[in-house]
Amino acid sequence: MTVIGERVPRSDGQTKVSGEAIYGVDYAEPGMLWGALLRSPVSAGRITRLDTTAAAAMPGVHAVLTAADAPDVHAGWVLRDQRLFATDAVRYEGQPIAAVAADTLAQARAAAAAIVLEIEPLPAVVDLVRAMAPDSPLVHPGWESYVPAAGPDFPRRGNIAAECIADPPGVDEAFARAHRVISDEFVAQRQYQAYIEPKSAVGIFRDGRYTVHTAHQFPYNVRDRVSQFLDVRPSAVRVVGHTIGGGFGAKLDASLEPYAALLSKVVGGSAVKLVNTRTEDLLTCPCRENALTRLRSAVDADGNILARELEVIADNGAYSGEMPWLASIALHCARGVYRCGPTRVVSRLMYTNTAPTGAFRGVNGTYLYHAVERHMDHIATELGLDRRDYRLQQLITDGAEMPNGQVLADAGILREGFDAVESVAPWAELQAGRRPYRGIGIGAAWWVTNPMPGTAVVKLHEDGTVAVITAATDNGSGAVSMGVTQIVAERLGIPPTDVFVTMPDTDVAGFDAGSQGSRTTRIVGKASQLAADEVVEKLRGVAAGLLEAAADDLEVADGTVRVKGVPGNSIPIAEVAVAATNTVGPVQGTGSFVTPFPDFNPGCATGLMFPSFPTPTYHVHLAEVEIDPVTGNVRVLRYVVAQEVGRVISPDGTYGQVMGGVTQGIGYALHESLRIGEDGRYRERTLESYRLPLATDIPRVEFVPLEHPDPDGPFGAKGVAESPVLLPAAVIANAVSDAIGAPLNHIPIIPEDVLAAIQGSAGDVRSDEEVAP
Amino acid sequence: MSAVELTFTVNGRPRVVEIDPAETLLGVLRDRLGLTGTKEGCNEGECGACTVLVDGLPVDSCIYAAAATAGRRVETAEGLTHDGLGRELQAAFVAAGGVQCGFCTPGFITTLVAVLREDDKPSEEDVRTALAGNICRCTGYSQILDAVAATISGRNER
Ligand code: FES
Ligand code: FES
Repeated sequence: MTVIGERVPRSDGQTKVSGEAIYGVDYAEPGMLWGALLRSPVSAGRITRLDTTAAAAMPGVHAVLTAADAPDVHAGWVLRDQRLFATDAVRYEGQPIAAVAADTLAQARAAAAAIVLEIEPLPAVVDLVRAMAPDSPLVHPGWESYVPAAGPDFPRRGNIAAECIADPPGVDEAFARAHRVISDEFVAQRQYQAYIEPKSAVGIFRDGRYTVHTAHQFPYNVRDRVSQFLDVRPSAVRVVGHTIGGGFGAKLDASLEPYAALLSKVVGGSAVKLVNTRTEDLLTCPCRENALTRLRSAVDADGNILARELEVIADNGAYSGEMPWLASIALHCARGVYRCGPTRVVSRLMYTNTAPTGAFRGVNGTYLYHAVERHMDHIATELGLDRRDYRLQQLITDGAEMPNGQVLADAGILREGFDAVESVAPWAELQAGRRPYRGIGIGAAWWVTNPMPGTAVVKLHEDGTVAVITAATDNGSGAVSMGVTQIVAERLGIPPTDVFVTMPDTDVAGFDAGSQGSRTTRIVGKASQLAADEVVEKLRGVAAGLLEAAADDLEVADGTVRVKGVPGNSIPIAEVAVAATNTVGPVQGTGSFVTPFPDFNPGCATGLMFPSFPTPTYHVHLAEVEIDPVTGNVRVLRYVVAQEVGRVISPDGTYGQVMGGVTQGIGYALHESLRIGEDGRYRERTLESYRLPLATDIPRVEFVPLEHPDPDGPFGAKGVAESPVLLPAAVIANAVSDAIGAPLNHIPIIPEDVLAAIQGSAGDVRSDEEVAP
Repeated sequence: MSAVELTFTVNGRPRVVEIDPAETLLGVLRDRLGLTGTKEGCNEGECGACTVLVDGLPVDSCIYAAAATAGRRVETAEGLTHDGLGRELQAAFVAAGGVQCGFCTPGFITTLVAVLREDDKPSEEDVRTALAGNICRCTGYSQILDAVAATISGRNER
């Protein structure tokens, strides 16, 4: 009996479908007060008047707080550049300026609205290129005084919040002798994670400590951020997790939690709850950053890429969050998965007067692969080569060395991926069957499985069931409710329904790096597996006495401890558990795991904060699209994914991640966009104008899992969930460009751009530089 | 605003609550009756997380005046746990992987109960169209459609 790779229902499924599950927004405490924030209505300005007197006197109001009531400290995940409330300058629309606690939510909101606020507006820094100009106003004139949250400082100056530069020798020489130089410029928009549960938090100050209830992907990060903002040591903050209504990276850093905690302290310990309206949520969410990417390749007559330059300018927004760590991802994606000579990479992250950007599934990779794969189509088309053949000709193979010096022992899986896609959707057939306004696109990627640490305790109950105590979170992926649950069940030979995984509580469970980067099944799964192994060892030790056999001759299987090869000679786990409790003491095991970063060349770049890609996986996607030449609408007819997954632990979970990730990618490719006005404010402010993919928009993804079990992963598992979002923009843009016969290099590809391209008047006509041989 | 009394039926039980005349049905269900299975995703009639049935018809309860339900029947996710079709759909969602974060799920199931009560064999196209008012950010809809298909075939077998 194995449960690995089997269709096991998720352990939290029934409570979710029945409406019993308690999400963050559902959580309540007796006698709870409600909070609300006064947020900046402008993107840049100076507070000239802030008067809370009238608000504080309103009915039901318990407290009104401003910067004067908060510790005089800066906080931040990577760089300590934020304060809890704006003091003098406001730097983005939605920035908190004051907080209110009142008996009801309506009273709290009314009081927040009654605070007298006057702001002298200043010109907003919005344009990424202009932000770099020496005469640009600085978003943070005091940038030099900021310190990193941990470790040494990193390259940054003025509006440049982080910079990663690789400048290997030979680039200019290769460009000088190139047969052709192909150049492109790509623009990608900001994308809102748009989880359906808005952010919320309940804060309680009691016994000199803060407790925060929140539905969060990374409870330990909330602990750290609350401790920074409130200037207490981390252990003075306890974070308790609740069911999460989606996150996709946006619930990795603290948001409302420190405000709820501080309000509770000021009102004398009553619980205080804050919840975002949808518009507040949208305006202040750490969205996927908008970016401008320029690519130049020097190619020979056969299409070999002799050298490349990639420059990317990405939007950090007004504060840094996680973003500086991610700037070096440009280095890892600059070549895509293709052979390439020396590669110069300049990646810059710019402060602007917009909401801070942050992690969104497939961080940075979505627009980098969009650029790289559009550029590959451009080179192929320019040289008269078939776009798929060209990719296969240039594809990296086992042992490929990437720009950071990381060696990919198993990159040959990529060819298997192309073959798998071919078996589902033969390229030649698709080409032969082409009709006007239909197009196909293909692309490939490699990606990381987040390596950060996790730990678990597996505790055996005297009835033979187990609890898994971990601060890991299931953001919906099923990584805990299926993956970790199945791994522990398999190890202990008990049904998954006998495995209960706790909700996170930082007072109880050890550090966990949260649901990010597809890490949970692999890292927490592995930690749980190791913990279960310890339980197995203890069970065998105790059972040896009961069965009068050597511990080495025993195995734990089918709910029993038994003598190997003598199935009749067995004893139920529950009995062993009771015997153990009364003899050696209760049985539990502990496991911890972290993936080391693969070897890399530290001298390959400056600002290399994300140095290499642990546990790499490989991906090939294909899309077929149809364009309505009258409306300009693009319809995705087919979508095929071949993805290397290590080992499928849960087929439903794996497919769900692929299907869901591709859907977010289709939205990103075609319509999802937070447009930023010249005043730094978003144009889209509700889910009415920010259009999400609907059931009528999305085809069923045709999915081929490629299994190459990882010896270090639990039952061979690697990361699955993040990467499906990496390539839809790339392959859909390639398909649309193919359908029209003109390049579309800006995303989202909106109907107006499609119509303009059809009429031959697209604004982004390719620029080619002919180089004399 | 002075409170008014609302008498209506919720999940088969007659209820009388004091409400504020401007209150939404969602507010009454969640805050006054503690029925938090109905979710608020947007409060603007866009996401469908707050879908409930009023006299059998799906409505966005976040933009539906509670006062308008006087004397009428309201069904929510909690109540559908005791409805044959509701239960089948719930089980099918879990079995098919149609639930990820689950925040949209009560709204989807509620809409689908109304759809399948009306027509027990809708085409996939019809189901997709009927679900255009319910947003799921996690699943990409395929496994939700699988759950509906499983429910339809299960029902037709009976
Ligand atoms: S909460 Fe009612 S439609 Fe979104
Ligand atoms: S399951 Fe998360 S929104 Fe649908």
